[in-house]
This record gives sequence, C-alpha cells and structure tokens, in this order.
Amino acid sequence: MKLSEFIRPASLPEARKALRALGPKGMVLAGGTALHFMPGKTTVTAVDITGLGLSYIKQKGDYFVIGAATPLSDIQRHRGPRWAMHEICRRISTHQIRNVSTIGGNIARVFPWADLPVVLLAMNARMVVYSGKEKDIPADEYFSSQPARLFRGGDLLTAVKIPVLKAHHGFGSVKATRNATAFSLVTIAALLELKNGVIKSARVAAGSGIPFPQRLKPVEDALAGKEASTAVFKEAAAAAGAAARWVGGEGMSADYIRQLAEVSILDALERAAEFARGRAA
Amino acid sequence: MTKTTHTVSFTLNGEKKTFGTRPDEKLLALLRREGYRGTKYGCGQGTCGACTVLLDGRATYACLLYAMQAEGREVRTIESAGTFDNPSVFQKELVAAGAVQCGYCIPGMVMSATALMETEKVLEDEIVKEYMDGNLCRCTGYEKIWVALRKTLDRQAAAPAKKPAAKSKSSAKGGKK
Ligand SMILES: Cc1cc2nc3c(=O)[nH]c(=O)nc-3n(C[C@H](O)[C@H](O)[C@H](O)COP(=O)(O)OP(=O)(O)OC[C@H]3O[C@@H](n4cnc5c(N)ncnc54)[C@H](O)[C@@H]3O)c2cc1C
Ligand code: FES
Ligand code: FES
Repeated sequence: MKLSEFIRPASLPEARKALRALGPKGMVLAGGTALHFMPGKTTVTAVDITGLGLSYIKQKGDYFVIGAATPLSDIQRHRGPRWAMHEICRRISTHQIRNVSTIGGNIARVFPWADLPVVLLAMNARMVVYSGKEKDIPADEYFSSQPARLFRGGDLLTAVKIPVLKAHHGFGSVKATRNATAFSLVTIAALLELKNGVIKSARVAAGSGIPFPQRLKPVEDALAGKEASTAVFKEAAAAAGAAARWVGGEGMSADYIRQLAEVSILDALERAAEFARGRAA
Repeated sequence: MTKTTHTVSFTLNGEKKTFGTRPDEKLLALLRREGYRGTKYGCGQGTCGACTVLLDGRATYACLLYAMQAEGREVRTIESAGTFDNPSVFQKELVAAGAVQCGYCIPGMVMSATALMETEKVLEDEIVKEYMDGNLCRCTGYEKIWVALRKTLDRQAAAPAKKPAAKSKSSAKGGKK
C-alpha cells in the first residue's frame, strides 16, 4: 500500500472526521506493520492513531479493558488475577513485531492466520467501536464476517473488553507452527466453565487451516454437560471434521490439518481444565 | 537523490535531528541514505532482524516502520552502541567468541541485546531468548552468539552498578558528517 500523506489527529472525533472525509483514500495506521503488505495501487493517507491515548490495559469491573493501540508486547508482559492473554501474544511473530503491532491492528482487518480473533471468540470478548459514541459488539457478531466492514465509514475500534475469568473458568490456547515464529498452521482456543468436575459450558474456536476464524459448535456440543476428562475431550476433538472446512497448504493435506486441529483441540481443552482447577496463569 | 515532500524530527542517537522524507519512506531507507549504514537491509519484510533499531528503547524493525512514525520519538541505531576502536562489552565478547562470520546479522543482534540489558533485571534464558527471537543468523548456528551474550549478561549481573555502554557514547553517533 502506498502512502501519499500522513496525518496525526489529536483526538478520536478528529480522527473519525478525517477518515470520513477521506473515504477509501484514508487508512488507519496503528503499528503500521500490516500496511506494508496490503495490495492496492491507489495511494492512501495514513491516519496515525497512536497519539490518541488508546494504549493501556486496565481492569474495570468484570472486564479487562485493552486499548486498541496497545502493542502485543504490553499484553504479553501484563499480569493480573486469572489473566490469560499473555500466552498467545508471546506466540505471535517476533519480539520486534510484538513491540509495534497492536491488538486493534490484529483484529480490525482479519487475516486467515491471525491468532487473536480465535482467542477473543473463545473468551467471549467485546469489541468497542467508536462512531461518534462508543458501542460494544460481542465477539460472535464482530467476527461473523470480515470486521473491516465496520470501519468503512470512518468508525474506529477503540478497545477490547475481555471477561475476567471466574474461579471455575479455565482457558487454554494452542498454536501449531513449523517453527517458533512462523504463522500458524492451526490455532485453537478453549474456554471451559466447570462445576464439580462437569463442563457447564464451553466455547471452542479455531483459526488458520480454515478460511476464517470461527467457533467449533459441534465440538462445544460434545462437551456440554459431560465430565471434564481426557476421554470426553478426545471425543469432542473428533468432531473437528464436522465443525469446519479444513484446508491444506505449505505441502500439507487438508486431512493432515484436520488431524493437527484434533490434537490441538485436545491440548487446549486439557490446558483449560487445568487452569479451571487452579493452575496459576 | 530522494525527492522529499515532508519532514520528520526525532532524537537520533542522542541528537535532535530533522530529515526530509516522504510518507511512504521506511525508516530503514531514511537512516541508510543519511549515512547510518550499520543498520542493514536483509529481508525488507520483518523476518530477519538485520534492520533492528531501538524506538523509545524497544527493539523494532526499521524496515516495517514508516519514517513518519518516528516523529518526536527516540531512535537508536548500532552507531550508538560502540565503535571499532571502542566496542561495547557485548561486541567485544562476540569477537572473542568468534561469533562474527559474515557479520550481517550482528548490528541487529547487538540492538536486541541492548534492549534486553536496559529493560530486564532478571536475565534468565527464557527471557533472553524472547528478546532475541526476531534476529536470524545464517552463518554461525547461534551457539557462539549465545555464548557471547550469556557471558555479557553474567558479567552485567555480577556488576549491576555499571551502566551498559549503549547510552553513554557521545563519540559514536554516526551519520553523515
Ligand atoms: C512478519 C510478520 C509476522 C506476523 N505473524 C503473525 C502471527 O503469527 N499471528 C498473528 O496473529 N499476526 C501476525 N502478524 C500480524 C501482525 O500482528 C499484524 O501485522 C498486526 O496485527 C497489525 O497490527 P498493526 O498495529 O501493525 O496494524 P496496522 O498495520 O496499523 O493496521 C492493520 C489494519 O487494521 C486497521 N486498523 C488498525 N487499527 C485500527 C483501529 N483501531 N480501528 C480501525 N481500524 C484499524 C488498519 O487501517 C489496517 O487496515 C505478523 C506480521 C508480520 C509483519
Ligand atoms: S530487513 Fe527488516 S527484518 Fe529483515
Ligand atoms: S554472521 Fe553472517 S548472518 Fe550472522
């Protein structure tokens, strides 16, 4: 993507006004790491949102609120009671990329291999979109198709709200890669709510290896009401084939990727159950 | 000659500077044409680490940063870390360990290690690997670089009062004279 102009608005309303005036010739720039790779012959004006106070992590009631321009490395280093976001952020690309790229940039325009949409779907996060005033959008609706649709009119993502995990909740994520810093082959995230060893509710999501991040409903259905045991997790993981259209690539067949997903689902569920039983995050 | 349409001002190796640029110019390109050639162009797409510089003390890829993003910030390049005559402790250890073969990756390695040493107090292997995970070396197999870094860190841990060399060098700012 070619930049013809670069502006630094001083406030959110100013940024939105500029983006509305620019239309398709305007482009939000947060970390800017994805902009270098975006195709397109038309030149755009970069609207830098890093000066708008959108880089923070705080706990507000039942939610951790993460500003949209918070770099992934800050999320990775943050610690709080039953905080679970650091593991997946540590697995995204390299130290230098994590220092610059932001949570907002990762989920405002979703690439098939993006890891955070998977985690935020499983965690039932809420995305805060500014359109003159702020509005929360639940993850299922936000990720129902390409979120960039929400920002075409100059609106902006301002924050991500992640429910604070309760004592009987557990979270686990697994990213399968060829090497430590590579793009994901399969990413799985699982949130389990346990009561006396029984799974009260489950949210399981996948990304990479499928065209777009999504929840795996047949896997979730195979868990609800059952005992939180390895046998049950294995049976649920076996529903992966019915849950999504797995695609091959990089020399791997679709069937291989599905099997990789099954193993990763089992791992993520074991981690989530362990977390729910009291593993320190 | 680069046709410039905009200006960008930032602190470079301790000195306030203003440069002509264009909105789509990468910080790496600006630095190199201004004479800061220690920062290398490797892949140009955020995977090798040869272009690593410090932005407000954090290691970043200059090839994935528009120069305009540096406005008002503090940028440090390898020229601030040490010179041929006055190398930093890590640079000395790299030479002593025989860890420099073609040398192309070394400026990036030194900058990532500088960020590590200036930021972290506990220098366990896990955290060291995290800071160094964005720097590739195609020659050495990493072992000797690791040995040199571990020696530097262990020495720093043994003498915590001593400041790392990177910040204080006034003789090594680099750039066109
Ligand atoms: C070498 C490399 C490896 C990577 N590996 C991984 C990986 O393994 N897993 C992974 O998940 N990601 C990976 N990434 C992606 C990286 O995390 C993205 O580049 C990043 O998420 C984009 O963040 P950014 O802040 O740089 O966004 P930008 O480049 O600034 O923006 C990206 C897009 O989002 C829009 N945007 C940004 N913020 C907002 C906002 N607040 N409101 C509305 N629109 C907005 C921009 O207009 C643009 O369209 C990798 C990137 C690189 C370069
Ligand atoms: S040149 Fe920047 S990471 Fe390779
Ligand atoms: S010494 Fe040649 S790339 Fe590292």
